Amino acid sequence: MGLIENIKEYQHNFAGNSNREKAYLSFLNKGFPTTKNEEWKFSSLKKIISHDFTIEEKGLKLSKEEIDHYSLNFKHQILFINGTLTSKPNINGVRINKYVDDSPIFNSAFSALNAACSNIGYEINVDPNTIIEEPIEILFLTKNSSNNFIQYRNKIVIGENAQIKIVEGIKNLSDKYCFTNMHTNIKLDKSSNIEFNKLQNNTNSQITIDETNLTQEKNSNSTVNTLLFGGMFTRNNLNFAQNGERCESNMNGVVILDENEFGDNHTYMDHKNANCESNELYKGIYLGKSKGVFNGKIMVQPDAQKINAFQANNNLLISDNASINSKPQLEIYADDVKCSHGCTIGQLDENALFYMNTRGIRKEDARAILTFAFASEALEKISINKIQDLAKKLIAEKLKVDLSF
Amino acid sequence: MLKIDNLKAGIEGLEILKGINLSVKKGEVHAIMGPNGSGKSTLSSVIAGNDNYEVNSGSITFEDEDLLDLDPDQRAHRGVFLSFQYPVEIPGISVSNFIKAAITEKRKVLGLEPITAKDLLGKMKEKMDLLDMQKGYLSRNMNEGFSGGEKKRNEIFQMAMLEPKLAILDETDSGLDIDALRVVANGVNKLKNSENATIVITHYQRLLDYIIPDYVHVLHNGRIVKSGGKELAHELEKKGYDWITKEADKKWG
Repeated sequence: MGLIENIKEYQHNFAGNSNREKAYLSFLNKGFPTTKNEEWKFSSLKKIISHDFTIEEKGLKLSKEEIDHYSLNFKHQILFINGTLTSKPNINGVRINKYVDDSPIFNSAFSALNAACSNIGYEINVDPNTIIEEPIEILFLTKNSSNNFIQYRNKIVIGENAQIKIVEGIKNLSDKYCFTNMHTNIKLDKSSNIEFNKLQNNTNSQITIDETNLTQEKNSNSTVNTLLFGGMFTRNNLNFAQNGERCESNMNGVVILDENEFGDNHTYMDHKNANCESNELYKGIYLGKSKGVFNGKIMVQPDAQKINAFQANNNLLISDNASINSKPQLEIYADDVKCSHGCTIGQLDENALFYMNTRGIRKEDARAILTFAFASEALEKISINKIQDLAKKLIAEKLKVDLSF
Repeated sequence: MLKIDNLKAGIEGLEILKGINLSVKKGEVHAIMGPNGSGKSTLSSVIAGNDNYEVNSGSITFEDEDLLDLDPDQRAHRGVFLSFQYPVEIPGISVSNFIKAAITEKRKVLGLEPITAKDLLGKMKEKMDLLDMQKGYLSRNMNEGFSGGEKKRNEIFQMAMLEPKLAILDETDSGLDIDALRVVANGVNKLKNSENATIVITHYQRLLDYIIPDYVHVLHNGRIVKSGGKELAHELEKKGYDWITKEADKKWG
């Protein structure tokens, strides 16, 4: 049958809800993107969607040990198990609830599909002037007896002068495919601040489509750190819109993939107002037969003068069979702006490897140290030590070395 | 300690070393001098194990072990150290982390207990004082943005930390002003003892005013064409290389 047929069979679940039906029709109209679509040119879903999926299946029971194993043990934790919100923290000035949204807002096939049938998600409202130092961990765990298609729809609203940090992770505990279509909208009020860390050390049975949209009011500051360390197929769509002056948007990414893993980071920075800044740094490391895509678009609208926009995408191809397609895109309609972008694709420096070798460092370790050094510039942007340390550990694992960087 | 026997080696099919014979005992300092293109750097690269060079025949033994059978890291673990003519910049790795990785690995291979952070730092401070290095050095990225002199000093610093049995200093004097030269040479002299040996590779005699060699060898066209005591260096300084190279060319053509 395939996923599209599975979805058609699921349709009766939202029949009669006009917003959802509208979204559904839009999805059917668009269909799943194919490689003929410029934005999906190197990211083929064909094989994946030919499989059958159950939609929002109840799932198998998880033991406490399993939950503890995947938990990052932050003080504040929002936990979803098989699509059910099972625990949430009590934090002064922060309201956290189950979120069901059927507003027909979508700009792509996947966001339309999400709007049509998602019933799962969280909503976080941070009161003005509330500063939460301790990160909020959001964990989505699933375990299923058959291939499962699951859609989350989330919303974060941060009040004026408020600050929060988020760590988000998805984990599929079974060897059946879990196809996650995640949609998160984040609204930052004036002078607010968010650091959102996406930890995507997914298993090779996890398929992820993620869309995260941030809209920022004046003087707000946002940072999204994407750590894409595994997963059969991952597509991240990260979109920033600056609705006021003096906003700052930062996106940092470290991608390290091996074997047949696929990872695609699409970012869109919309500079709509003057005197704003954006910084983008993505580091990609590709081993085995892994494939990567980077597509970073920066838009500077006509009235957005005095913009400082920086973008860099640096890639290391460790194996001859790995590949990366990198595409920076700048569209600038204002005349007083500073925009720079750079994209590099290279291999490890053989001279540096030999140099380290002569100092007694084994080839494997020298490679790992150089690779880690390559990624470190982006890793250093993470303000949460625990996440930085975990990232270092995961990178060492991925490079199959017993080193602490 | 080191015995090189009729070594022939080259790069991309071109033979550069055409039969080198050299014997170095512990406690000795040997200087290898020669004009540009004589094969000095090829010799040091082959001893260190750079696999861009092919060894066609001959042997290198180090403490009765065939060095050519070992990878560069294994040679380092046995106690061979090469101070590079052009040290490599490694962005993203601090000097202290680099040294830590090198020492940790060596101790692991030799079956020694890992060095404690405190001991390591203490040792680094001691060796930095020896080489008149500023504190900030350790947190800077390996050779990144270093001046020529700083790079060479960093090489000798690594040598001081790794305590090799055989140190090969490849054109360590190039890029050094006279004050830096004095500091670096002083460092090398202080590290010298009766158990280790040094090979100084240089084009000019001036480094040998500070590091006094026991033997001087002249390398020309891939062969050691003349050997002598330290006075040979002074003679070369006065008379140049021509008188030796002409004689040699007559002999080998």
